[in-house]
Amino acid sequence: MNGGKEAAFYLKADLQTKEAAMAAIRELKASGFNTNDLDVFSDRPVEFPPGVLDRPSHMSLFVVLGAMTFSCLIVGFVYYTQHDYPLITGGMPIFSFWSTGVVFYEITMLGAVLTTFSRFLWESGLLRRNRRIPVPAVAPGTICLRVHCRQEQLENAGQSLTRAGALKVERLAESA
Amino acid sequence: MATASAINADDQVRSDLWRPLSGVSKKYVIVLAVLCAVVLWGLFAWGYQIQKGIGVAGIRRPVFWGFYLVNFVFWIGISHAGTLISAILRLTDANWRKPVTRAAEAITVFALMIGGLFPLIHLGRVWLFYWLFPYPNSRLLWPNFRSPLMWDVMAISTYLTGSVIFLYLPLIPDIAQLGQRATGWRRLYRLLSLGWTGSDREWHALERAMKLMAGTILAVAVSVHSVVAWDFAMAVAPMWHSTIFAPYFVVGAIFSGLAGLILAMTIIRKTMHLERYLTPLHFRNLSKLLLLMSLLWLYFTFAEHLTTWYGNEPKEMNVFNARVRGRFAPEFWVMIFVNFVVPFVLLGIRRLRSITTATIASVGVLIGMWLERFLIIIPTLSMPRLGAAWGKYSPSWVEISITVATFATMAALYLIFAKLFPIVSVWEFETHHVEEE
Repeated sequence: MNGGKEAAFYLKADLQTKEAAMAAIRELKASGFNTNDLDVFSDRPVEFPPGVLDRPSHMSLFVVLGAMTFSCLIVGFVYYTQHDYPLITGGMPIFSFWSTGVVFYEITMLGAVLTTFSRFLWESGLLRRNRRIPVPAVAPGTICLRVHCRQEQLENAGQSLTRAGALKVERLAESA
Repeated sequence: MATASAINADDQVRSDLWRPLSGVSKKYVIVLAVLCAVVLWGLFAWGYQIQKGIGVAGIRRPVFWGFYLVNFVFWIGISHAGTLISAILRLTDANWRKPVTRAAEAITVFALMIGGLFPLIHLGRVWLFYWLFPYPNSRLLWPNFRSPLMWDVMAISTYLTGSVIFLYLPLIPDIAQLGQRATGWRRLYRLLSLGWTGSDREWHALERAMKLMAGTILAVAVSVHSVVAWDFAMAVAPMWHSTIFAPYFVVGAIFSGLAGLILAMTIIRKTMHLERYLTPLHFRNLSKLLLLMSLLWLYFTFAEHLTTWYGNEPKEMNVFNARVRGRFAPEFWVMIFVNFVVPFVLLGIRRLRSITTATIASVGVLIGMWLERFLIIIPTLSMPRLGAAWGKYSPSWVEISITVATFATMAALYLIFAKLFPIVSVWEFETHHVEEE
């Protein structure tokens, strides 16, 4: 125990095929691990069928919200700038949708682009990675499964990984 | 995932695709030095213009938009090579795209940077460019958001931001690989990789982000060239005030962009010995696309000219006649020849279709599309509605120097990029390789 937190342990298993990785994940989930405890590392994307290691994403929703926010901001800003100077127009409208529509569109899309990038940084965990959590080295062409477990789960997790066909199971440095 | 032969194949792929990044050959240094010399000459010409004033350029009343605007439209068109083509191919899951996309996306970023410079060069008093940005100033003046020039600023800024992110995102896994072994200044790769570890969360987020970016950037790319077209079409000038100008420009942009991509790929393939990765299949597919765009371009050009001819409006006919059988006729018919006849013959006849013919056709299309931009801008401005205001335009050495320098800039930036980053996406190629197996 450290600072009132329960000690965390990490197991690393090298797997040769996607099928072996799927089997290992299923074994571990059956023995009580949830998807947040499991991380798959590879040098290229590995696609698992739905239900194996789902990572729910709200990226699309955030992109729409980001685009809408930028859209509202630019409409407000253009409206403000066009009314900021007390121009005498003889009652004619000064704010024109048609001629400012392109600007609204572009800034809306800029909002979508910037939100996509920010959300990518957030969902990938790149911005909020805990440096104390060990990252396994992955050999080219192999899949590495990292399991986050408590001390009493270590043996069980190791057996599950071996049963699923892991080439090598080892314990990574602990963190608190 | 990893049989012994697959691992060997992967090693081979990595070694082939990372080889161009290690070491600098004498030939590379010489070519880069020559290009840099041309770029410096262009910068000198620009500096001369800044010192002496915009009068040293050939733009005179009534032709206020000369080579600078021709180049602006041309380079913005070339920028459609990458992001748009890459986005379309990504969204349609075209697997053959994988070795092609990065080369294309890099073209977009560099072409946009170059194209975006021309309005600044054209400004003359370039140090006042920040007046275009909306910031609170002492005179309480805001930019006029109703002006198509402001549309350009917004559209190009958005497209450049999106294109840089679109290029950068799939680069991250490759940069992380490079960072693992990096020493010296190349440790910068580690910083650029943002701490990428290859976890499934990162891969998932990357794939989702790329899908969303592809959709967004597609919409932005179409809008950018539409906005460039509207710069012209909003003016009630002969042969500009046309409703089909936006799609006509978008088609022309994709057409010239594809040609630029094929040319870049041929050079990369040859100089970096990537024959195994940029195969005849890629050239064949891109050639078919180029041929399709050539036919579409011809259709739009024909529609545009037929409508004008049938309308027989005198002011429009002045420009029409100058283009088709007057003083701009040589440029017009060369344009038709290289934009339609050459691609149609070389790429339409299957027996003739090869990497060499695709490259020849692409060079022709690039020349033709530059001429098309010239023919859209100069004849109309030379012959405004008021006959007494007609004038002639001939570019000065300053404009010619800057034009040549932009081509050298493009080549130099591309050379430097290809030395710093793998020009073929290594991880995407490996995935493609495994899927094929």
